[in-house]
Amino acid sequence: MASVPLSAYLIMSAILFTIGATGVLIRRNPLIIFMSIELMLNAVNLSFVALSHFLDSADGQMFVFIVLTVAAAEVVVGLALIVSIFRSRRNIDVDEMNILRG
Amino acid sequence: MTPEWLSFIVLAVASTATAIGVIAFKNAVHSALSLILTLLFLALFYLQLQAMFIAVVQILIYAGAIMVLFLFVVTMLAPEQDEQEQHDRIAWQKAVGSLLGLVLVGALSYLLFNGASSTNLPKASAAESLSNVVKHQGNVEAFGQALFHGYLFPFEVTSLLIVIAILGALVFGRRA
Repeated sequence: MASVPLSAYLIMSAILFTIGATGVLIRRNPLIIFMSIELMLNAVNLSFVALSHFLDSADGQMFVFIVLTVAAAEVVVGLALIVSIFRSRRNIDVDEMNILRG
Repeated sequence: MTPEWLSFIVLAVASTATAIGVIAFKNAVHSALSLILTLLFLALFYLQLQAMFIAVVQILIYAGAIMVLFLFVVTMLAPEQDEQEQHDRIAWQKAVGSLLGLVLVGALSYLLFNGASSTNLPKASAAESLSNVVKHQGNVEAFGQALFHGYLFPFEVTSLLIVIAILGALVFGRRA
């Protein structure tokens, strides 16, 4: 019985990562850029879990667990930043944010 | 075609389609809903790879908690955002971005297809291999044992990271 090989999962992960990276490049809404970053993190998680399965070791799943926590912390701080920018500018287009003073 | 391949292909097509939806929808709420679907399909991938605990955590934390947070902020900011994306400062940005994406996926797929095969990977020794622990103690038990034996310190540092994130969100939220 031919089971799904490791490279199939890794290529799936590469496709999802690329979609996320393209989203960061072509969208101007910071919320959607954030979602694309989440997509990239999840693509990497998929390759971690696939490698954990094919290497027969639990280490990959530990990394996914840590990445999940870091992603949650990143989303909390990032969304707080976006809301804070929206409060002071009423506009969150990333092309408009080109000065450093508040 | 074996059932494994069949479910892999169905999941692959579904998750790719919903992931493209995330970056293609004009409305941010639709993008967020599409991302929730992608995360659920990824949880099914994890189930297929016998990572039960990760699959459940993916649904609870990602598709549940994190995406609810996203949707809160999207609905808070969305009404002003709908007509913002018309004016692009750099006109060729979308074309070049998509082209670079195609180059990236092409290069990655080529390398992975030629380089990665599961036959010549270094396996863990038989006694401490994941499948052995899973067979004798169970799936989630194997995860917990690996977490609290080999990764106890990173796990504790994680709690520090969460406290810092909470403090950061508080500081940004107070500045009204």
